[in-house]
Amino acid sequence: MRRRLHAPKFLLAIPGFVWYGFFYAIPVLFIVINSFGYKPGVNQKGSVRLDRLSFDNYRDIWTPQFRQVFSNTMVIAGMATLLCIVLGLPVAYFIATKAGPRMKALLLVLVIVPFWMSFFVRTSAWKIVFAKTGFLNNFLIDWSVIGSPIDVIGTKGAVLLALVYNYMPLMIFPLFVSLDRIEPELREASKDLGAGRIKTFASVTIPLAAPGIAAGALLTFIPMAGDYVTATILGGAKGNMIGASIYNFAVQGQDTPKGAAAAVVLILLILAVVAIAGVIVGLIKYVFSLNRRVNIGMAS
Amino acid sequence: MSATAPPIRRRRSIDVYRTLGGVWTTLVVIFLLIPIVYVIIHSMNGGNSFNIWKEWGGLTWYRELLDNRSVRNTLINSFKAAIGSTLIAVFIGALAGVALVRRRGRWTNWFMALLFLVLVTPEVIDGFALLSWFFERDFNSPFQNGFLGIRGGMIRMWIGHSLFSSAVVTLIVRARLQGLDESLEEAAADLGAPPTRVFRQITLPLMVPALVAGAMLSFSFSLDNVILSSFVGNDSSTFPLYLLGTVKSSTRPTAGSGAVVLFSFTLFFAAVTVLVLRRSGQSSSQIAANMAG
Repeated sequence: MRRRLHAPKFLLAIPGFVWYGFFYAIPVLFIVINSFGYKPGVNQKGSVRLDRLSFDNYRDIWTPQFRQVFSNTMVIAGMATLLCIVLGLPVAYFIATKAGPRMKALLLVLVIVPFWMSFFVRTSAWKIVFAKTGFLNNFLIDWSVIGSPIDVIGTKGAVLLALVYNYMPLMIFPLFVSLDRIEPELREASKDLGAGRIKTFASVTIPLAAPGIAAGALLTFIPMAGDYVTATILGGAKGNMIGASIYNFAVQGQDTPKGAAAAVVLILLILAVVAIAGVIVGLIKYVFSLNRRVNIGMAS
Repeated sequence: MSATAPPIRRRRSIDVYRTLGGVWTTLVVIFLLIPIVYVIIHSMNGGNSFNIWKEWGGLTWYRELLDNRSVRNTLINSFKAAIGSTLIAVFIGALAGVALVRRRGRWTNWFMALLFLVLVTPEVIDGFALLSWFFERDFNSPFQNGFLGIRGGMIRMWIGHSLFSSAVVTLIVRARLQGLDESLEEAAADLGAPPTRVFRQITLPLMVPALVAGAMLSFSFSLDNVILSSFVGNDSSTFPLYLLGTVKSSTRPTAGSGAVVLFSFTLFFAAVTVLVLRRSGQSSSQIAANMAG
């Protein structure tokens, strides 16, 4: 009587289902299918033909250069993610536990504001900092660290630094949210029971923040693995990333099947990383719960 | 004496950790702010290049944004892309968010899995997938050639940008409604309000803070999108695409002034969002949780 309408429960989600189905699931599925097709001849219509399916595209793109680009992407995105954790975790921890309410708000604003400056322009700005007569070189020369100016632009180091810079807020925010949710009483209790600061941090804070660390790692690693603009601006040809290969195959080379094969390689890489992150979080939680059970068992 | 000694030592060690944390945080914040300061200064460069400082040029390059028609159009296109995709994202996200909390069922898991996939797919994949999808099929004339006077590239950007943003809006709305119990809606229904009226008068007002936060995030994501747009937006150049086109030659100072203008709009929108969230009684931690999705 209360509900006259006997609509299915997912009624309101239908726009979402349709949108993601039609503009996400099917197009991405077709990437996978297209990667097995071949590029049509000059007078044939369309950008991909599917009447003969094979692994040829994978064989063709798997050249030494592509392998180099692939490992480059993994190493740079992986290192940048680690650096984001190392640099960002103390910041998130400080904001969540040590800063007063006003300071907290101010610091959160300062962390997120750079993120709203144009991605392209704030990356280009590092060129100014790194230039031969720029701040970095002048600073290092003034402090006698180096004798003559060094050329940073075009190196992997520049790309790495800019990636860390560009995606750091995406690491700090989930870390902050997960650390902020941990009640201070838990840490107090750990200290009262005789654990030192480092032990408390390692055995209470980190396991509870593990989902936040995993979320931050995925939020930074995935866009970094697909980002080619940062490398284009600061790395020149040397900092080539897999995203650039996809773009070059698909848009500049007009070779949809090869681009699709490169895209599938990236998808597989990311699925592997997501799976690894899930396993690590699961392990940390499992070890943590085992540890607790042992402790409780010993106490009783 | 020995009873008072430990607390003193403990307090001092708190100070050390706090100071270290503070110094570290300050250094990271400075690192994050350095390029922003450079961009703002170099947008007032008197020379002809964004990267090489020549002399004080005042607001020359801000006027250029208004005078130079092609640059002005890219800025206008950026706003069009951001407004269109934000409207789509808020519409889809609001409805899906409500359904996820108030109409739970077996479908919820499927939908959450789909959202997760959308969120972890890099923009290169989305962009490339949409590009081949739109140009390969027969149904695609509105997406290719435009529709009702809107260019195809703009429609493609709306669709592309809204994928990621609508997933974020959905999660924010879901988080907001999970924190509110259903009794208000039930009371309204018990008093005889039809479902649409319950939604309009009870659920929607409760969702406003989440919708504003979600709209803000969608807007800023779309306004500055480079990677996805570089695939789908070929006939409607936005400001970031115009900048990407200058990467091989030297970047003009309009890059700086245009970026500062867009930055100011985003900051304004963000300030409004924070005010709305404050008025709805959220602390900075909750606001951060909301903004992080």
